[in-house]
Amino acid sequence: MMASQAIRTAPSRPLPVRRGAHAVRRRPVATARSAAPARSRRTAPGAMSTASWDLRLFGAAAAAIVIGFALAVLYLSQATAISVTGYEAQRLSATRDELRRQNALLEVQIAKLDSPARIAADAARLGMTRTSYVPVIAAAPLRAVTR
Amino acid sequence: MQVSHWRLRVLFAFFAIASLVLAGRLVYWQTAGRAHLLAGATDQVRSDLVVAAQRGMIRDRNGAILATTVQLRSLYAVPAQIPDHAATARSLGVLLGRDPAPIQAALDSKAEWLYLQRRLPEPAAAAIAALGIPGLGFETEPKRVYPNETLAAAVLGFVNDDGNGVYGVEGRHDAALHGVDGRLVVDRDPANRELALGVRQALPAKAGTDLTLTIDLVAQTAAERELAAAMAKEKATGGTIVIMDPNDGAILALASAPSFDPARVRTADPEALRDRAIAWTYEPGSTMKAFTIAGALEEKVVKPTDTYNDVGYAMVGGRRLNNALGRAYGTTSVTQILERSLNAGAAWVGQKLGAQKLNDYLHAFGFGELTGVDLAGEVNGMIRPLAEWYPVDLGTASFGQGLSVTPLQLAAAYSALANGGILYRPYVVASRRDADGEHRTAPAAIRRVISPETAATVRSMLVSTVDNGIAHNAAIPGFGVGGKTGTAQIASDDGRYVDDAYVSSFAAFLPAEAPQFVVVIVLDRPDSRLLGTVTATTMFKGVAQDLVRYARIQPDRKP
Repeated sequence: MMASQAIRTAPSRPLPVRRGAHAVRRRPVATARSAAPARSRRTAPGAMSTASWDLRLFGAAAAAIVIGFALAVLYLSQATAISVTGYEAQRLSATRDELRRQNALLEVQIAKLDSPARIAADAARLGMTRTSYVPVIAAAPLRAVTR
Repeated sequence: MQVSHWRLRVLFAFFAIASLVLAGRLVYWQTAGRAHLLAGATDQVRSDLVVAAQRGMIRDRNGAILATTVQLRSLYAVPAQIPDHAATARSLGVLLGRDPAPIQAALDSKAEWLYLQRRLPEPAAAAIAALGIPGLGFETEPKRVYPNETLAAAVLGFVNDDGNGVYGVEGRHDAALHGVDGRLVVDRDPANRELALGVRQALPAKAGTDLTLTIDLVAQTAAERELAAAMAKEKATGGTIVIMDPNDGAILALASAPSFDPARVRTADPEALRDRAIAWTYEPGSTMKAFTIAGALEEKVVKPTDTYNDVGYAMVGGRRLNNALGRAYGTTSVTQILERSLNAGAAWVGQKLGAQKLNDYLHAFGFGELTGVDLAGEVNGMIRPLAEWYPVDLGTASFGQGLSVTPLQLAAAYSALANGGILYRPYVVASRRDADGEHRTAPAAIRRVISPETAATVRSMLVSTVDNGIAHNAAIPGFGVGGKTGTAQIASDDGRYVDDAYVSSFAAFLPAEAPQFVVVIVLDRPDSRLLGTVTATTMFKGVAQDLVRYARIQPDRKP
């Protein structure tokens, strides 16, 4: 209550006369920081201490709000990042699964092409015939080469 | 002013009551109705899915894929989103090779969502995707594929619509191949994407075990080629070829006819699903004479050079048992009994051995009991208990009648002759590979049936049967071959034999000095009847020449 009275009474006190732009800029003196010294010249020391605590509370509340806001923004940004990363992981997982699927299909295709029955059928289609007898020449036992 | 206060009070009361009602409702939804709300909200975002395990792959002994599971795309439609049903049906008809009319009827059916075709070939799926028609989409679904089509179908079996293996390796090893399904609980956004910040509970699926078989694709191809040619030539009702490694019981090839396409089982003849190598029995006939003589040699009741006077028949238990065509050969040695395939001679040897010993040796060679092969659907054949034998049964059993065997039993028994007298359990799964690594199948020796000396003697007699006897058609230049033909009558349901119908077979091993392959060929009711063994030996030559060439086996004699 004392602080608000001090603030409200601040404009009624004589202002130092200054010339030029600086004087104009200093006109809005109705702030807690600028009001306190002005009042101190006229109010009791007890009232000055109460006003100081009010300022601190205001500062703390403001800081808490700012920090809370910052934390909320941080949380949201992290949650968004996790979601985006999750979707990206899913996309990569789907890509991996599709590549595995394609790979399995290609392996089956290779197995089909490697099938002896298919090769024999293609050879027959090309006019090749099976030989009735394949002679095998038995090799002589190897002898150690000596010098 | 009094009126004003009254109005204010009414207004205040109204807002107070409204606030109380709203607060009460809020309390209700936050307490009693909370679970209902939560469930409703969860249903909208949460999916609880069973993650199917990838079924294990089946490969041949050299790593060639015999069966595998691939994810194929299934085409679905949301008809309300498709701008032009007629044009879409026409385009799809061309790409799917189907009549567009049923496709358009499906699109016009006012269904909210429907499959147009499941498990599309990949080129067709890619072509449809390239059209970019709104309202069409794909889902992947697993499909078991067999790159070699009908090859080794009897060994592999198939997978039914429920994803369960039936027959063959697929059936016998279904639990290992299937794996363990997983579970995924996850929150999703309206675009069906997983929410990174939502619930995610994943129990990963455990993939099925990969199996490597003892089957050799080249040997299997040769066996199926020869069997298909013989089936066409002889118009036989069935046939089978078994190729085994006699030294450990590994089955290198197993062909059965009629066969089926494992990928199109619905259209298959039920009879074609039966693996004739393990699930079909027949009276083996003369191929069994080798075991009668092996038992007699082991018991030292005869020697290869012992002789008897062949008069064309033998009297056993008061019944006359004739040679084929009733021919008499006079003085005949034990070796010549095999060379000439004499029923009277086999009955003479059987009588020397005795019913008890003959029965014991038949069981010792594995007849009348399951071989234990790791394939589904094996039957055990039939050797009647000795107590049920009539006196004549001693004679008929000596040359393979009055009992039934499977071709695989015969192959395992001939392997025992070829490897020096040890009966091995046949097997087709060489190794299993799972998360713990590779587990190889150890060959399982069941028992020693005869001594190595007796086995060597029987081998030389069987080689003489090919070189000098009835199976000369099976000779391969440069290689010693031992083998025995068999022609057996077919028992009917009324206990008599079917007129003029036979089962022709040939069992052989090569190379004679150190056998690496045992081949058993059986044809059911060939057109050439008693001459069906000629076809069987011709089939053997076709298979055996491929085997020795492929396995790079050195000739063991001069061509």
